Amino acid sequence: MVGLPGQGMHLQLDALSLLFLGLLAPQIVASAVAGMRGSVTFWAFVLGMVLALAAADAFTLIFGFELMSAASWLLVLRGDARPATFYVTMAVFSGACLIPAVFLPASSVAFLLILLGAGAKAGLAPLHSWLPKAHPAPPAGVSALMSGGMVKVALYVLIRYAFIILAPAQQPWWGVVLIVAGLGSVLIGALRAMLELELKTVLACSTVEHVGLIAVGLGVALRAKAMGDPILAGLALQAALLCAVAHGLFKPLLFLGAGEVKHAVGTSSLNWLGGLMRGMPRLGGLMLLGAAGMAALPLGPGFAPEFLLLHAVIGAAATGGILARIGFTASLALLGLGAALALGAAVRLIGIGFLGRPRTLQAAAAEDIGRGPLFAMGLLAVLMLPVALLPGLVLQLLTPVVMELAPAAQTPPLAYVPVPLLLLGFLVLAAAGFVLQRWGVRGTRAAPSWNGGFGAPPPWLPFGDPLTQPSATGFAEPVARAIGQGLLTRDMADPAEEWVVAPLLRVHLKGVRLAERIRRATIRERLAFVFVALVLFLLALGLGEGG
Amino acid sequence: MLGFALSLIATLLHAAFIFAAAPLLMGLVGKIRAWALGRRGAPVWQPYLLLYKLLRKSTLVPETATELFAVWPVAAFLAISLAALLVPSFCTGMLTADLSDFITLIGLFALARAATVLGGLETGFGFGGAGAGREILFSIFAEAALLVVLLGFVLLAHGATVDGIAVAFATQHIGISVSLGFALAALLAVALTETGRIPTDNPSGHLELAMVHEAMVLEYSGRFLLLFEYAAMLRLLLWMDLIGTIFLPFFMARADDVLSWPLGLLCWVVKLGLMVVILSLFEISTAKMRVFRVPEFLGASMLLGFLAGVFLFVAARIGL
Repeated sequence: MVGLPGQGMHLQLDALSLLFLGLLAPQIVASAVAGMRGSVTFWAFVLGMVLALAAADAFTLIFGFELMSAASWLLVLRGDARPATFYVTMAVFSGACLIPAVFLPASSVAFLLILLGAGAKAGLAPLHSWLPKAHPAPPAGVSALMSGGMVKVALYVLIRYAFIILAPAQQPWWGVVLIVAGLGSVLIGALRAMLELELKTVLACSTVEHVGLIAVGLGVALRAKAMGDPILAGLALQAALLCAVAHGLFKPLLFLGAGEVKHAVGTSSLNWLGGLMRGMPRLGGLMLLGAAGMAALPLGPGFAPEFLLLHAVIGAAATGGILARIGFTASLALLGLGAALALGAAVRLIGIGFLGRPRTLQAAAAEDIGRGPLFAMGLLAVLMLPVALLPGLVLQLLTPVVMELAPAAQTPPLAYVPVPLLLLGFLVLAAAGFVLQRWGVRGTRAAPSWNGGFGAPPPWLPFGDPLTQPSATGFAEPVARAIGQGLLTRDMADPAEEWVVAPLLRVHLKGVRLAERIRRATIRERLAFVFVALVLFLLALGLGEGG
Repeated sequence: MLGFALSLIATLLHAAFIFAAAPLLMGLVGKIRAWALGRRGAPVWQPYLLLYKLLRKSTLVPETATELFAVWPVAAFLAISLAALLVPSFCTGMLTADLSDFITLIGLFALARAATVLGGLETGFGFGGAGAGREILFSIFAEAALLVVLLGFVLLAHGATVDGIAVAFATQHIGISVSLGFALAALLAVALTETGRIPTDNPSGHLELAMVHEAMVLEYSGRFLLLFEYAAMLRLLLWMDLIGTIFLPFFMARADDVLSWPLGLLCWVVKLGLMVVILSLFEISTAKMRVFRVPEFLGASMLLGFLAGVFLFVAARIGL
């Protein structure tokens, strides 16, 4: 038996771990089908995640977690060596926080360590800046599983400890810390998703945003649970869990699609794509579904969680002390900003990458996806349907998990019901279609674009001059100018780089210099050190005896 | 049973009225604007003629457009029609009352916006892209402002459906409060932006560089343009209904009380007329602002919404 001597490893499944395992299963299948099934490291990565989710004791949990980190580090390293060092540093940091935390008694210190460790692994602000670098590096199947699965495993650890294991020591301010970190992630993640050029980086930034949304939901629930508000706790937990489910479906789909784009075009920079919907209609349609989820559009899979979350925050602002209420009002504004930015990012992904004219010959000649990736993405898209159209039913399935996390919680039925809305939409469409067919002039005619009256492009540019087409940079320019300059650093980099990573690097450099100085000490210095230490020791001893 | 039948009839009447009246509203705004400027102006039924003309014209699809060219106008029209069906007009308690959650409405606005922006990016020519980028910029602040304003309503009405807010504001004694004034100002700013009116956008502008909403539909013609134009008309009516329902819920009919309908209808017409006049006069008395001033305008409205919430909290604290 492996494990701690005399204890072994214990596995146990409860509602929470079953939910996360269920969330992981379609992603693993999709990634494996999409081309990762031959890689041993990939299966080690999967094993680590499953172990962490099914663990019944702290050692197994940490073992699985670290196996997951190590395997994913190898996978990142194979894709791109540059972010791998940064990634492994963050992984070691998160391990260094988690290992002491799981053996501590229930206390606020343990919660903060768990938050630091799991939050760093999940990409929660301000420890998120590694995620948009590391997630795009490995092949698409691994990126999909890292964004959709690994992040969820980290959140699972956070949920398990914050809600169940550390429950005896629960404090309302734990929730506040989570909400603040979540809001930071939402804002920075959505803004960077709007501004980044590389398709996979856009998706990784959007993952930071969704982790932030989940964290806000968890924070509101944690605070409500500690303050004894069962309705709010239930609502916020539903929001967080449903968001995790929806994100676990549409984000792997988008990552797999981004990988296929890179495979077909040779690049996945938005400024070199364009018009892919023409050559890759199947991929384009699937990506459109995923983007609708990412943008949280109604009738899509992402709307119900956003709806619940906004209602939870409104509910939190309706009660409590005046400072907390003002804080929740501000959170609502930030969530609104984040939601609109996420919409902009999703629209930009589709509008610049898949619509319009091709910007390169490779984009014009791209061929549609093969059967394997189509099956993988199709599986995720089909699973998105119940989340999109019957969220009330999915929430009922989540009820045991909510009850496990907050036994007193109440789960009222969801106020957003897509099916009648869809029926109403069908009626409107039928009426409009009837009018257009009965009285309108039927059929369409292809014609050159009007384009403000410009002449036709020269014959050697069949799709017109690519430079006259709005680029991804140009599309985001108004947002970059109005918001980016205020929130990001001068060269549009992540503020976490300047405020968190750079100081840590400086400390690290100083530490290295000091260690090197000690290593190079001359014999005289060493002898002097030993002598001084001896004198001080004797002095302390003498003072202790005398006093 | 009778109640259900009555509310079904009320819902159908509501649908018929909004789809029939939306172009008229646009025509009235144009007429009053022209009068106030000393011109005669087009007849008020001009928008109906425009829609009919577009219906009878052939539909051109640009060669550089993808297969989804036809999807965006349909999606934009669908989202706006759904939103218009959800917002009460002359009576409360329609069949759609439970669906009319304010956040669903915000989501439907976002859906319409996404469809329009994608339509602008569809053919890959400059004006559409420029308009699309600006639309996204405006929407960021508009959505935040809308959510903050919503908070104030939910706190006062203890419910988040537009129908519930209307009933609560009509029956409870809310009184005139500073918060509601701030919320009204914030909501008006968002409404002007969403419907693409002066000062954020000029619906009758003809300079592509300065356009936002119009720039995105430049490549559309025939039936597709008809859907976009009709959606724009419905959007104006929808926002007037929304503001009228929340801030002027006086004499609104109940769906299960058929005797109250005539008065409700009359008051609805009066409310719309009042708002049309105010909108027209406001539009001729201000100029369109620069694109990068709009975020400041909407940021101010967000702050007003925020203040509305804060004043409510303070009032609750000191027991007003």
